[in-house]
This record gives sequence, structure tokens and C-alpha cells, in this order.
Amino acid sequence: MTKSINTSGVGSAINRVEGHLKVMGKAKYASEFPIENKVYGQGINSTIAKGEIVSIDTSEAEKLEGVLKVITYKNAEKLKTLEGVRPEIATDTIAPVLQSNKVHYFGQYVGLVVAETFEQAQYAASLVKFEYKKDPSAVIDFEKSRSKAYTPDNDSNYSRGNMDQGLAEADMVVEQTYNTPIEHHHPMELHAVIASWDNGKVTAYASQQIIEDAKIAISGTFQIPKKDVRVISPFVGGGFGSKLNLDRHVIMAVMASKMVDRPVQVTVTRTQMFTNTNMRQQNEQKMRVGAKKDGILTALSHETLSHTSTTQEFQEPCGMVSKMLYNVANNEVTYKLIPMNMQTPFAMRAPGEATGSFALESAMDEMAWKLKMDPIEFRIKNDTQTDLHEERPFSSRLLVECLRIGAEKFGWKDRKPEPRTNKKGNWLIGYGVSAASRNSPYQKTHSKVILELDEDKVFATIQMDATDIGTGSYTIIAQTASEYLKIPVEQVNVELGDSDFPITPGSGGSWGAASFCNGARAACENAIKTLKNNRNIAQDEEVAVSELLKKNQLTKFEAEGMAEPSAEFEKYSVFSFGANFSEVWVDKDTGMYRIKRMVNVASAGKILNPKTAYGQIIGGLTMGVGMVLAEQTRVEPNFGNFITRSFADYHVPVNLDLANIDVIFLPEEDKIANKMGIKGIGELGITSVAASVSNAIFNATGKRMRDLPITPEKLIEAGLEEGVTA
Amino acid sequence: MRPFTYTRANNKEQALQAFTATSHYLGGGTNLVDLMKEDVERPDQLIDVNNLDYKKITSNDKGGLTLGAMLSNSETANNKEVRTNYPLLSMAMLSAATAQIRNMASNGGNLLQRTRCPYFFEVSMPCNKRDPGSGCGALNGMNALHAIFGYSDSCIATNPSDMCVALAAIGATVEVQQADGTSRMIEFTDFHRLPGDRPEKDTTLSQGELITAIHLPKAEFSDHYYYLKIRERSSYAFALISVAAGLQVESGVINKAGLAMGGVAHVPWKLTKAEEFLAGKKPTTENFEAAAELEMKDAKPFEANKWKVDMGKNAIVRALTQAFEREV
Repeated sequence: MTKSINTSGVGSAINRVEGHLKVMGKAKYASEFPIENKVYGQGINSTIAKGEIVSIDTSEAEKLEGVLKVITYKNAEKLKTLEGVRPEIATDTIAPVLQSNKVHYFGQYVGLVVAETFEQAQYAASLVKFEYKKDPSAVIDFEKSRSKAYTPDNDSNYSRGNMDQGLAEADMVVEQTYNTPIEHHHPMELHAVIASWDNGKVTAYASQQIIEDAKIAISGTFQIPKKDVRVISPFVGGGFGSKLNLDRHVIMAVMASKMVDRPVQVTVTRTQMFTNTNMRQQNEQKMRVGAKKDGILTALSHETLSHTSTTQEFQEPCGMVSKMLYNVANNEVTYKLIPMNMQTPFAMRAPGEATGSFALESAMDEMAWKLKMDPIEFRIKNDTQTDLHEERPFSSRLLVECLRIGAEKFGWKDRKPEPRTNKKGNWLIGYGVSAASRNSPYQKTHSKVILELDEDKVFATIQMDATDIGTGSYTIIAQTASEYLKIPVEQVNVELGDSDFPITPGSGGSWGAASFCNGARAACENAIKTLKNNRNIAQDEEVAVSELLKKNQLTKFEAEGMAEPSAEFEKYSVFSFGANFSEVWVDKDTGMYRIKRMVNVASAGKILNPKTAYGQIIGGLTMGVGMVLAEQTRVEPNFGNFITRSFADYHVPVNLDLANIDVIFLPEEDKIANKMGIKGIGELGITSVAASVSNAIFNATGKRMRDLPITPEKLIEAGLEEGVTA
Repeated sequence: MRPFTYTRANNKEQALQAFTATSHYLGGGTNLVDLMKEDVERPDQLIDVNNLDYKKITSNDKGGLTLGAMLSNSETANNKEVRTNYPLLSMAMLSAATAQIRNMASNGGNLLQRTRCPYFFEVSMPCNKRDPGSGCGALNGMNALHAIFGYSDSCIATNPSDMCVALAAIGATVEVQQADGTSRMIEFTDFHRLPGDRPEKDTTLSQGELITAIHLPKAEFSDHYYYLKIRERSSYAFALISVAAGLQVESGVINKAGLAMGGVAHVPWKLTKAEEFLAGKKPTTENFEAAAELEMKDAKPFEANKWKVDMGKNAIVRALTQAFEREV
């Protein structure tokens, strides 16, 4: 047990240590570095879904003042290309671009114009004329392409027990299909890069979540040694998974820099962020749930039909929640993918859980209604302390506590179980609940600490290639150093986002906090251990770090550290848990609804900083509200383009859409998860929010909504007249 | 963005004189500049009319108010006279866009707002409004958000304005400066036009005509009014359906009704039949429902926007009910 010596250590709700830089505009994001001699690249996107480029006319563009180069497949450098049929996409996958005249989807990059100014590049890009030969076999309609679905060969299909038997044993069966549309990450900061090629050495200021993987992807794509690539990304204005891997604008910028011999900046436009920087694909999830009259689950199956691109494979693990959340002996999870002429989908906030929990937690609510059981009691009845999928105990699981404490705080006892019985004027009022779980991975992390003695004060600098994607990494790492070095946080300086620093897994998958902080802890502990050993001081003797430096006659000292999952960790299943409660008011005539209150209870290990943790949860809840309220990318059925092209069309929630949000963190330290007891939190917040709102809408209106987003027109189509249609 | 010439006019003479066939007047620019960035609008010249002296709200000889064309939407909607006497207009205007956009957008510009049809915005798609003769992509494409009244095979787009729906209900008049230096008055219902076979023309303005003012008649709906805007989020969203309802009620009888609908046609859709039906009747739910039925039975929805008929009916009844029940 570590004990905080002041208010700035782990667990204190301090302000963000880099906050002042952000409000003063001094935090430099990728496109803001003042690189001398910089020029601008503007990507050009295809306007057909499938086919070939027949001819390209660059003459008009090249005539324009300031235009340095128009790059297309005709003059692009040859890059390493993807091998095999639809290879699986990962965070370090290469990103070849402009390599042939083939077009695989609407919006694919087909060219890059490089010019002295951003405006010149943009205008010139509009003047490059492409003539295409359209291939009418483009697969752009999900509904009409079911027959093309295949089973991905990635071991994701799973079963235990016997589903048929489980369903036969059941007194009640729920069999329903839940749909979620294409969604986009849309972090505030546009994807951007400033790349320079200097005698075979690449420097890229790039907005990326994982520095090391960006480096691997650049070196792999250009087939140059990893040591010749440097990636710098000190501040990232949000990622949500869209910046996990390296997207093709970075490769185009590096290539262009090589060709024009100047640093090249490429900023992806908001419209291009629909087609060129990842997305969450459409999912059709069929659920079958069987239960005994007393509420004991007998069977649960989760079949997901999604789509990938025609060139790469990605499959969102929607069924993951159904494998581990409840105590059910007979369980089946399957996946099918339709290769479509669209960009390759990739991880978006809580991949698997965000969408899978909508299906599972809606189906659980449907079953509770059928059984005439309270949905909380139904869930508690089927709780398990063992992960039946991994066949391992959970390192800690406080789901029941989350549900009970949330119910108390929310006032669940006031809920009227019968739909349409809680009314006020034109409003139909409903309460909804859902359980949340999120895998809490933890990965090998290196870091370095530099101690400097100034009078009696020790100043520490922590370096690691970790990123702060708006989550608070700088702050919690500084708090960790403060805790383990026992110095005030004001004396800690954290330097992140540079591939010259020690390697970390970067930000993603909610592993950042646990990995980064344990990595920083290891460096700090090593520093102290070494300083003590050098002077034969017993390890358990309490000596201030300033004294240790003095005793070593040092004014500066560096130490490295590494943290990784223990053997103990591997014996357990490590998840964060939570519960969501919503009160929703639905207008009986217009189909508009207001989410009046939300309560979220999170059991997510040691809370490093309640303020940044709270920010993570309310950010997740907000994105969850977006899923249920409005977010959807629509595909034009004849052309295959996205008709949602900007924030005017792709609706994310506004402040007025969010109501009172209460977040409660259960006090917990999971020492099995890691030494500091930290679990993931970034993706727990979005998980099952949509189901809690949808379940509340059912309780309010008696109409079960199974297609996200739940818009006024869908509620009108469902019919808001009297009656319950379960 | 394509290069263009920027000209600042300091008076109407300069503006009219500078105008050419490929010019656009520039007001707040909140719609025009966006469309230029998208390469949808391609003017060779922008004539900035922000310096023109059309920024006042004055009383007119009809006993109503006259709104300067260059006044911002925010200043108009928050003006005390407007709020007191034309709360329906104020309510509609404040439901539109965001505070930042309303601060920039001009009254004249709001009348010229172009459709949000996605085929209009994506230049590689067919669109008769953007590129006459190229076809209508929405007709056999994605038309869940398109018109249910007054459309043609050439265009099924809707007008996106909130302000215009209220102006149609109130019965405003638009004053425009003609190229020859004289002015003319256009009844609000004649200002926007149905697409017919010329959907590229949103309004009945002639080339170079400049909107200078919007004249409001004597206030009639300051006690009973409601602007209902149905949308999927609480702000910064165009209406799925909107209804502007104004009622003048005396001794329990409707003297006059002003009604218009947004999100259903190429123009702010004036509900004349419902207005006529309600005049002289009691403000009852039955009458409101009958009025809604009378209008919506003429709707010709597509498969994907059938919901607009049901939602439209509910919206008319609700807006009338809210307008009537408003506590004076």
C-alpha cells in the first residue's frame, strides 16, 4: 500500500498539469509545429465505389501558381503492399497508398497535390480531373449483400455447453435482432501530419495514439530501418481509436516530402475523416436468450453480421460481452463479415463492448420484461465471479455492487415496471438500467526518470513515448512520480509522445493509465532502489530522494524502468465493471425525447485522479448518448458514398441533450491487475449507455427500439399510441 | 476554394452597379461561404453588402415592424419589439443553428438559405439544383428527409429555414432593390418558388436584385403562438418537421390563424386550407385535428419519408395546442 505524502499524489483530484498550456494555446498539436520551409499537401478522393482510373489530367492543377507536385499512382513511389486476401488490420499495419489505378471505395485517396500554401493545394486538388471506368459489381448495400458474408478465420467464434439444449430447458426465449449503424470517431483535432524526408531519415509530427506502431508502419511501408523513423506527437486532440493505426495521409506526406524535398503538411479535412481515418462498421446482432421462470439463464447466443472492406479485414468483437458477463452454461458467439466497397473499419471506442452491450443489455431487458422480473434482480441472479469464457476467476468484479449502489442513488424503487404508466403532460417517462463491462488490458511499458537536485529540491522528468489523447496521461503520470518519489507534483515534468523516449503501448483499449503509471512507477522505484543500493542503504529505510542524491554526491541521476503483466495477472480475467441508469422523457406526439438524468457507477480499480477519471466517464456517456440519439453515417445506395459529410449531417450530442450526470466510483484497488491496482476506464463509460436509454424508452412508451440511433422518425414509425409491443 | 474577387459595397448603388451574372451578394456568409468551400457555389465575385444601411428595426405604415435585411438573426430575434409583438418569429429564429451562426447570419441571407439535400452538397452526385440537367439523385436515392409536398421529378429538396416558416405564418412582405434603382414588394408566399423544372432557382428574385427589408404586418399572434421544431438533437439541427402556429382568439373563437410548415417542401409550406378552416371556429383539439388532416391528406410521401405525414399531423395539432394554451 502506497501512502500519499501530500495532496498531489495518486488519487488526488488535481487539475491537469498541462491544462494551462491548452487554454493558452501553447500545447502544440501535430499541424502546429513551425517547421521551416513547410509546404502543404491536399489529398484527392475517388468519386466511384469500385473500378479503375482510366485517365488523369493534371494540367490545369499544375499550371496554378504555387503548385509543386501532383502525385498519383502514375508517379508515386513504389511502397510495400499488403499481402494475401484481406489481411487483418492491426495498429502497426502498413498503409500503402497511390499504388495502382484500382479504386476500392468511394473516397479512397487517388492523389495528392503539393503546393506552397494550403489554399493553393486545396484549389489545385479540385482541378485534377480523373476519368474512371466504373465497375458495376461494387458491394455498397449491406441489406442486399448478405449472401456474400463469410466467416472470418480469426478464432473469434466460440461456444460452450449446448445452445439447443439450453434453449430447450428454457421457459422463456427472447430472439431478437439489434442494429447499429456505421459510426465515426470524429475527434476534435483533425488527423494531421508534418513529415520530412531527410536523406532517408523520416521525421513525422503526427497525431497518433501509439507512437511505436506509427513508427513500425512508416518503416514497414517504405521499407526503411525503424531507427530512421522518428514520430512526435506530444498532444493529441482526441482519438477514440481513429488514430490507433497509421492512416494513409501520413504515408502520402512522407512520400511527398521525399519528392519535393521539403517538409510536407497534410491535414485531413472533416469530410475526409468520414472516408480516410477509420470508422465503426454497421452491425446486425441476433440474440437468443433462454431463461427459466425463476430468472436463471439457460442459453445465450450472440450472432454478429458486419462488414469489412474488400482489401483488409476487421471484425469488431461484439459478442465478447456475451461470453463473459453472465453465468450461463450454454453460450455461442459467431461472426460473419461482408466484404464491401468501403474503407476498412477499425476499432472505435470500446470496440465490441459499445455495440455488443447494446444488443446484450437490450435482450436482457426484454427477458426481464417477459419474466416480469426486475431487470436489476434478473442481472444479479445471473452474476458470476468466474469468467466462463476464459475459465478463470475475475481479478475483481463488483457488478452487483455497481447495480445496487446505482439503484439506490438513482431512486430505482420509484420506477413503475409497467410501461406507459408514468406520465406527465405530453411526456411518457421511463427508467432504464444496463450493466457494463470492459476488458482491462495492461501491457509492457518502459519509461525513464531523470532526477535533478536543485538546493534541497528534487525535480523529476519522466520520459516515455506514451500519448495524452485528452485523457489526462500527463497528469496521472506526474501524480505517479510524485507518489513514488515523494516529491510535490509541481516538481515533476512529464515528457511524452516522442519515439526517442522509451517504448510504451500508447493510448488505446483503456490500457494507457495502468500501463503508463506502472511504467513510470517502475522507473521511479528503480531510481530509488539504485540510489539506496549504491550507498548500502536498506531498501525499507525511509530516505528522501533529495537526501539519496546528496548521499550519492549526485546532482543528476537517470534510471529506467519497465512494468509488465505478472504471472498472477495471467491467471485471472481482468475487467472493469459498471452500471448505467437513465431517466428518459419521450414526447408522445413528436417522438423527441430528453434524457433527464443519468447515473453511472464504475468499478474500475484505483482511481488515479477523480477529476480526469470523471472526465473519461462523462465523455464516454456522452458518446453513448450520441450512439442512441443521433450518430449514424448513411451510405448512398446507388453510388456508395457517405451522405453524411460534416458535423451538420453527422449529429453528435449537444450540451442540451445531456442532463444531470452522476458518476460514482467504487473504492477499489485491484492488485492482481497490476501493482498500482489500476484498471481501464476510458471505454467503460460508453459501454451499455445506449441500452440503458433504450430500455428507459421501452419503460416510457412500451415500444422496443432495436435499431440505433433511436430518432423521432423511428419512434413515430413505431407508433407512440397506447399499447405495449414488446 | 476557387479564386474570386471580393468587392465591398458602401451603398446600394455600388452594390447594384458591381453586380454581374456570376456575382453573389455576401451577407453573413454562413451558408454561401460553406457552399463555396464545397465547390457547390462558384461565384466569380462576392459583393459584400454588410456596410449597407439596412440594419434597423423600424415601425412601418401598416402598423407593423420592418426588419432591415442586413441585421443579424440574433439582433432581430432578441430585439424587444420583435420579442413582444412577434414572439413566434423570435422563437423560430432562436431555434435555428447555433448562437455563433445566428450572430453572423443576416435576415436577407436567411431568406436565401439553400437546401441541405446531400446530393446538392456532394459535387460528384447528380443534382438539378446545383447542376441543371444532371438529374435528381434523391428521387431514387436517399429521400427520407425530403419533400412530401409540391416537389417535381427535377427536385425533391426542402427549404431548411426556420425563420422563413414563421414569416410565412405571419404573412410578411419582402422588399427588394431592383437593378434599375427602383424597389418592389414581394408577398412572402411568392418569394420562394416550387422546383418545377427549374430547381436551380429557389426564389422569384431577378438577377441582381437585393433584399433590403422584411415588412411584418400589424402584430396578430403575440398572445397565442408556438414554433414547434422536431429534430433529433436539441440544437444545431435542421428540422425534421417544424410548424409555426399563430392564433388570434377572441371570446373563445379563432379570429385568425397563421400556419406554416418547414421540412416538407421546397418552400416554407403555408397551410392556407388549415388557416381558412380554423377561422371562426373554436380552438378545440377536434378542430385542430381536422385542420391537420385537411392539410396532410394532400401529402405525397416517398416510401422512406411516410413518417413525415404522421409526424406532420401530430406537429400541427401540437403547435396549435401549445399556441392556444400558452398562458398570456
